Amino acid sequence: MLERGKISALQMAFMMNPTILATGLLLVPAITAKTAKQDLWLSPIWASFIGFMIVFVAYRLHRLYPKETMFEYSEQILGKIPGKIVGVILVFYYFHVTGIIVREYGEFVSGTFLHQTPMVVIFSTMIIVSSMAVYGGLEVIGRCSEMIVPVLLVLYLVIFVMLLKDLDTKNFFPMLENGLGSSLKGSVVLQSWFSEFILVSFFFPYLRDQDKGMKWGMISVFSVMFYMVLTNVMSLLLFGKLTASLTYPVMVAARYISIADFLAHLESIVMALWVAGTFIKITVFYYVLVLGTAQWLKLTDFRTIVLPIGFLLILFGIWSAPNLQVLSHFLSTTAAFYLLSIQVGFPVILLIIALIKKKRQQMKGSITG
Amino acid sequence: MDLLSLHLFENEAVLKSTFTDCPDVIFRSFLIGNKTKALLIYTEGLANIEEIDKHVLSPLMQQETTRLPDIQTILEQKLSVSKVKPFTDTKHAVQEISSGNPVMLIDQQLEGITIGLAKWEKRAIEEPIAESVVRGPRDGFTETISVNISLLRRKIKSPNLKMKSLVVGRYSQTQIVYMYIEGIVDPHLLDEVHNRLNRIDIDGVLESGYIEEFIEDDPYSPFPQILNTERPDVAASSLLEGRVVILVDGTPFVLIAPTTLYSLFQASEDYYQRFMIGTLIRWLRYIFLLIALLLPSTYVAILTYHQEMLPTTLLLSMAKSREQVPFPALIEAVIMEITFEAIREAGIRLPKQIGSAISIVGALVIGQAAVSSGLVSAPMVMVVAFTGVASFSIPRYNASTAIRMLRFPMIVAAGTLGLLGIMLGILAIIVHLNTIRSFGVPYLSPMAPMKGEEMKDVLIRAPWWSIKKRPRLTGYSNTNRQPERQKPNPLKGTE
Repeated sequence: MLERGKISALQMAFMMNPTILATGLLLVPAITAKTAKQDLWLSPIWASFIGFMIVFVAYRLHRLYPKETMFEYSEQILGKIPGKIVGVILVFYYFHVTGIIVREYGEFVSGTFLHQTPMVVIFSTMIIVSSMAVYGGLEVIGRCSEMIVPVLLVLYLVIFVMLLKDLDTKNFFPMLENGLGSSLKGSVVLQSWFSEFILVSFFFPYLRDQDKGMKWGMISVFSVMFYMVLTNVMSLLLFGKLTASLTYPVMVAARYISIADFLAHLESIVMALWVAGTFIKITVFYYVLVLGTAQWLKLTDFRTIVLPIGFLLILFGIWSAPNLQVLSHFLSTTAAFYLLSIQVGFPVILLIIALIKKKRQQMKGSITG
Repeated sequence: MDLLSLHLFENEAVLKSTFTDCPDVIFRSFLIGNKTKALLIYTEGLANIEEIDKHVLSPLMQQETTRLPDIQTILEQKLSVSKVKPFTDTKHAVQEISSGNPVMLIDQQLEGITIGLAKWEKRAIEEPIAESVVRGPRDGFTETISVNISLLRRKIKSPNLKMKSLVVGRYSQTQIVYMYIEGIVDPHLLDEVHNRLNRIDIDGVLESGYIEEFIEDDPYSPFPQILNTERPDVAASSLLEGRVVILVDGTPFVLIAPTTLYSLFQASEDYYQRFMIGTLIRWLRYIFLLIALLLPSTYVAILTYHQEMLPTTLLLSMAKSREQVPFPALIEAVIMEITFEAIREAGIRLPKQIGSAISIVGALVIGQAAVSSGLVSAPMVMVVAFTGVASFSIPRYNASTAIRMLRFPMIVAAGTLGLLGIMLGILAIIVHLNTIRSFGVPYLSPMAPMKGEEMKDVLIRAPWWSIKKRPRLTGYSNTNRQPERQKPNPLKGTE
């Protein structure tokens, strides 16, 4: 096995939280508000079903091939050459997606704080820190998330509590004005975020307590859903119909915080915390990309390709979109289908084929036996 | 192996040629019972001459019998010294003489005798300077390894306190002893310590720092992966947690392995004061740790990039004080931090009488003059001073040096990328701390990987009756520290 480290299921759950939430919290309220209007807080709940499903699919696949990741068992399920082709699609897909995430991070930082700093500098500083963690392997990433994520989750709740006095519950109404349809429509884009839970399939083989993998996977889906609902409620009650027209509602919300007339304008601190979450997200994707590439190429050690891939990720970050408008448009339209087809379509098809194969083998076994 | 010869003059010749130009090695020949030739060799200043005269030379020289004495009878009847040992090898004799033990050779005998009467001037047991306490034992280790071992034995009287000894240093021949409690320590850890110590090949070991650099896990980390202490109570408590204590002859600093980050921020006194104040002080220390690491960089970041975070009045007063300052905040911070480090270093190295002069110069010239001349702003002086105070509150000197070192890259990161830079710096430190291990134990344990039970020695200082388990990674073979239900209660024993 390429990865010798082991993580606990709890660590995996901690890793998955910012992996979905980091970019989600920034963009989701605005994107869902466009279609779901005042029912946007319902959309994460619908979207989370995809999350629960995908964890289940990943777990079933894991049960069939307990020691392998998707890059490895796709070759077993589909045969050598189709499996390799699936592998190359996955590798390029993760290159692209990680590039997009790096770009989202860069756009956010340069758009809100460091207007003058070149994008490459923002990308590369983050990639350097991430590559340190990826180089350390899964164990290091798991431990880092175990330290960072609980703090982030609690502090995020603190932000919510500090905004309580500015929230206006009238913004909830009229509830379900257009029936469930609009909130369901709003959940389509969100589903692409939840479908990222397929990443758990890359961690299941390395869990110390494999039987708890499913449980903690589900718990992390639930917690992600909870935080998304919270975010959407927060921006809805704070901004009402304005939510849709803001790029980063949470950041604007952070400006409302004022403690004792002394601590005000905390958005820089919120940004710093968000960066910590994004770090986990980028690291997790980066790690899966490196691990997958190494497994696809049948390398003996993934550490040799960490830095070259990191360099490519900076390039993919630059290539992924010409500007924020295009990126945001892509994310709220095409990306949903793109992400869903690979992150949900692929594993589901793989599972179906694997199950059929298993059935056949059993039937064969019963005939010959 | 150069075995002793039967003829005394041959042995004498070998040893004399070994110790040519060593006038401190004395060869004293005498006759046992007026007949048998014998030779006593000792090093001046390292042997207890009065005891030798009284218990070795006089009983042997006054012996009346003319019978040829054999080694066994001499050992059993003549030498009234408790620590004697026969040997057959000249190399052994050379080693014993060098380390201070007198050696006796007798004609027509294939064996010699080493007499354990080494004695030299040693420092008395004093209160350790680097780790002083208000409440707690005041004895500290000294430069003599036998004294240090006895200090530990005084704390842990169980026969399970074991030790293994080895000699490192081709020229210095330094004795190194590692101690552990059998039944608590992890045997794998013991093997690892043994192997790492045995791999060392160096010409001389003058301080335990030499050993530390040879056996640590990650030599390129700014964080110390092996704890050192001058206090026997700290060493004893580590032994009880299943750690290994390494004593090096010639230095009062003993090494403790494995070490986690949190043990660097714990003082022995935390455990002697009542647990509430222990907890509070521990948290104060964590806050000061963050201040020591981050205050100057946060100040630079806010002044350079995030002025909006400051309340208007504070911002105005800061702007006023910075009006005349010619440097950007980053340069100002780096200059002041370097100045502070210089004053601190000078204060340590100088003799105590002049040391106070440095603090006057530092306070007056750099504090007052720099501000009034407008080269440095007053808030920056405050920030640097507060950072300095904060870094003194870290109980372990080598941990505070790690923080001091990391402060500078953090200032640069803050000056170039603002709070983002600070955050990336913190993340890099967290990642680094998660990658290093100390003798196989993750450095951040029990925080990551998380061990709920052990966190109560990190987040709080739990009362002694509730610390029922040893740290799992070092003391897993014998985890139970004390039985349940020891919480004090006046009704106890009455029901």
